[in-house]
Amino acid sequence: MLESYFPVLVFILVGLGFGIVPILLGRLVAPWRPDSEKLSPYECGFEAFEDARMKFDVRYYLIAILFILFDLEIAFLFPWATVFQDFIAAGEHAWFVFGAVMVFLAVLVIGYIVEWKNGALDWE
Amino acid sequence: MDFKTFVFYFLGAILVFAALRVITARNPVHAALYLVLAFFTAGGVWLLLHAEFLAIVLVMVYVGAVMVLFLFVVMMLDINVERLRQGFWSYLPVGALIGILLVVEMTIVLGGRYFGLEVMPEPPAMAEGYSNTRALGMVLYTEYVYPFELASLVLLVAMIVAVTLTLRKRKGTKYINPDDQVAVKREGRVELVKMPAEKE
Repeated sequence: MLESYFPVLVFILVGLGFGIVPILLGRLVAPWRPDSEKLSPYECGFEAFEDARMKFDVRYYLIAILFILFDLEIAFLFPWATVFQDFIAAGEHAWFVFGAVMVFLAVLVIGYIVEWKNGALDWE
Repeated sequence: MDFKTFVFYFLGAILVFAALRVITARNPVHAALYLVLAFFTAGGVWLLLHAEFLAIVLVMVYVGAVMVLFLFVVMMLDINVERLRQGFWSYLPVGALIGILLVVEMTIVLGGRYFGLEVMPEPPAMAEGYSNTRALGMVLYTEYVYPFELASLVLLVAMIVAVTLTLRKRKGTKYINPDDQVAVKREGRVELVKMPAEKE
């Protein structure tokens, strides 16, 4: 059972390697002589003007929320991808299942149209 | 201790550590990143319990999307950590009461009377090649098709609400509609006027 996740483990290890190895290499190979000026926050040559945390436009959150909603949609479609072949093979409910998912998608396309027409996806 | 038990304890240790760091980290961004680690490890524990679909959804929806929103919020909102800490002692009684209540409730439920090994023995092992994503798919689109369609309506409502609550048009931007830009014809921009030549 656990053996079937070996490819996933390989993926995780490769991903970790991609993240860590360049940083380590840069640290080991490049010269590293820090001083307080080099390590201080840098803002185009000036002293930092203000705190990095400030009020951001609510539109960033709108994009993130819409992303979550479409991500959830994918979660609902995921089992479909695994079983639809079986339904076709059984031949019994294939069209029903297909129709059900298409209705599901159609309702979400309505949401997509609402977003588009309201300009929620535009960046003015 | 076989390999599976080892993996479980390994993941469990990381999970408990990450969860503790979520509430003890001083920097809210670090807390959010530890929460990502906690979700990811919990996904691993679920994989061990043969709950592949839950594990995938946890990683995809929570790590992939919800935590992005969380990080957005804690990185971009101007929260003053000192000001957040001010009310600590005045909030402590209420917080402690709720915490103790939660612990008591969980001990009653998980204390062995309802979830002990005698009441809930280990389920029989599934056949080789059993996948609970498949099992879910087999009933989700047939038997539970009505709740499935309702879920799409819930998502639709959430989309419309998100758009109506947060979208406001701003005045005075230099935004140009690309449609209009593309649709421009020569006639819209240049006008040729016929006029007699001026002679002196």
